[in-house]
Amino acid sequence: MQTATETPLRLSRNEIVARLQDGAQRRLHISAEELVRLYRDGRLTDAGRVADLLMLAHLLDQRDPLFVAL
Amino acid sequence: MSLSDDLASALGDIRHLSTRYKSGDSRAFDAFRDLVSLILHSTVLHSNSAARLSYGEGSDLVLGGWNGPTDPLGLTDGNFLRLSIALYREDTPQGPRVKVRASSFQYQRDPDGERWIFRYDYLRNPPERYPACHLQVRGTLIETGDVQRVHFPTHRVSLEAVIRLLIEEFNVPPRTPPEFWRPLLAESEAIFLDIAHQSLSGPDE
Repeated sequence: MQTATETPLRLSRNEIVARLQDGAQRRLHISAEELVRLYRDGRLTDAGRVADLLMLAHLLDQRDPLFVAL
Repeated sequence: MSLSDDLASALGDIRHLSTRYKSGDSRAFDAFRDLVSLILHSTVLHSNSAARLSYGEGSDLVLGGWNGPTDPLGLTDGNFLRLSIALYREDTPQGPRVKVRASSFQYQRDPDGERWIFRYDYLRNPPERYPACHLQVRGTLIETGDVQRVHFPTHRVSLEAVIRLLIEEFNVPPRTPPEFWRPLLAESEAIFLDIAHQSLSGPDE
């Protein structure tokens, strides 16, 4: 069966951070930085609820300022 | 072509794509995407929906919806599957391998996931005390009440198992007859379980 999925979606750092920021604010009323900090500290209540947002963080370089600043 | 011819061809595709993603070479991520797409398009995926790889600044890729990891897939029953799988490549003594860093399969009523029904999560290295593989259900038990924040420990649950659950228990209409999708899922799941990383149900210290 043919699927039209061959072209991957390229997201720039700004796009990823903007999506993280928007999702974290809208769904948890916190910033992207706070979301990542809570998750890394194991203090994010019900992380699975926002697993899709956390997947966005996987697309950032591990040396990204969003992580390094924490 | 007859159904049995179609099935034989699809089973061949499953084996070929599995071999390719297990090889860990430069096309392994594409093979993984094609395998998941084949399984979904043969079962519960709405004809207007598609899975797609996303990539950014890091070395991980995420398989999710058309517009990225937060975009759920449409299903044949009008509901949604929020599928997101973070992939990375690792050098091993056997050569490069594609591995799953985290995955989440959430069945939900609405695109935003506010009305989610159940969710299977897997984290290779969980930062929290919850089981690395777990099930959550947005529901109420007769005896204990709300359980949506309870992380029921599981072993690694495959996408194939979730698709079977959707079809058999949640009556999501399959796009192909059982004589087609059942052996297809069985073949793919057997290959997955052979190599799937398993975790303890909590921290080891």
